[in-house]
Amino acid sequence: MEHISKLSETSLTIREWIEYFREAREIRRRYANWDFIRSQPPKIRIALEYYIETGDLYNAAKLAGMSMEEFNELRIKAGIPSIG
Amino acid sequence: MASAIADTSFLIDWIRYSKSRLIFRLFEVIYIPESVLTEIRSERSLTWIAEGLEEGGLAIFPELPDISREALNLVARSRRLPIRPVDYPEAFCLVAGRRLDLTVLTENGGAIALASYDPEYSNVKILRGIDILYLLWRSGLINSFKDELEIYQQETKHIYSRRDLDRYREHLK
Amino acid sequence: MSEKILKEWIERFKEAREIRRRYANWDFIRSQPPKIRIALEYYIETGDFRTAAKMSNMSVDEFIEIAKESANIPTVD
Repeated sequence: MEHISKLSETSLTIREWIEYFREAREIRRRYANWDFIRSQPPKIRIALEYYIETGDLYNAAKLAGMSMEEFNELRIKAGIPSIG
Repeated sequence: MASAIADTSFLIDWIRYSKSRLIFRLFEVIYIPESVLTEIRSERSLTWIAEGLEEGGLAIFPELPDISREALNLVARSRRLPIRPVDYPEAFCLVAGRRLDLTVLTENGGAIALASYDPEYSNVKILRGIDILYLLWRSGLINSFKDELEIYQQETKHIYSRRDLDRYREHLK
Repeated sequence: MSEKILKEWIERFKEAREIRRRYANWDFIRSQPPKIRIALEYYIETGDFRTAAKMSNMSVDEFIEIAKESANIPTVD
């Protein structure tokens, strides 16, 4: 993940940003605890899946009906890393 | 392209429609107020919203104190008349629609009535599912307004009254 | 608000209630536990899904799902 943090030090082209976000999504998918996620009620599960796909904490929290802080705790519980 | 704001009454019907995603071709973005989102818990609706957020067709509209205050006023005013009053999420959409020039998507009769009798809201553009279908047809995105309206009513189990259909009488022969 | 507009809206809401009453599956509604039955009846009479959902301890869309799928009550306005 070191190379991802290095990216923030340089200005990126759109293509590089797209690649960056794609890679971040792959990492979130790979590390996520899917058993935990599947065991959640629909509202929470969908919010976690949305977060994995987008990395968008703000809207994921809204989907789950939680504060960003609460949702952040939840995504940690679900094993989903926050990237960047 | 204009943007829109949708309330619960609109979403709980529209999301059931098999061609629901066509609506994203009509608006730049469709906002969903937080107060509307908190009312939605079903898997189908939340998945639709999550996908819309992901693809950029939807965005969440935050609770803004100014709009919230005016919405509460509207809720109170609408209760003075012997017709269906407006609840907070619908009122919020009307206020946001007026202040930010957003098209309001609603099926709530109280909200539509308010726009017809309250001069402050008479310029707010309000669209129901039937109006969206009409626009989709005019834009060439659906083939037959009459057939699609029939499908829409069956899939969503939303029935349009004789008065609503009368407006489109010419196209429903 | 002009009397004419008011009368028109009152008629519209009456028509909406008639539609809900006509389509409703009353056998299903009568077979429900009191909380749900009363919520469904309230909803048929008023179209106020929000209060009906609160009465039955459901979210709005969950309540509407039951109203439409099981009780056959269409949304009208």
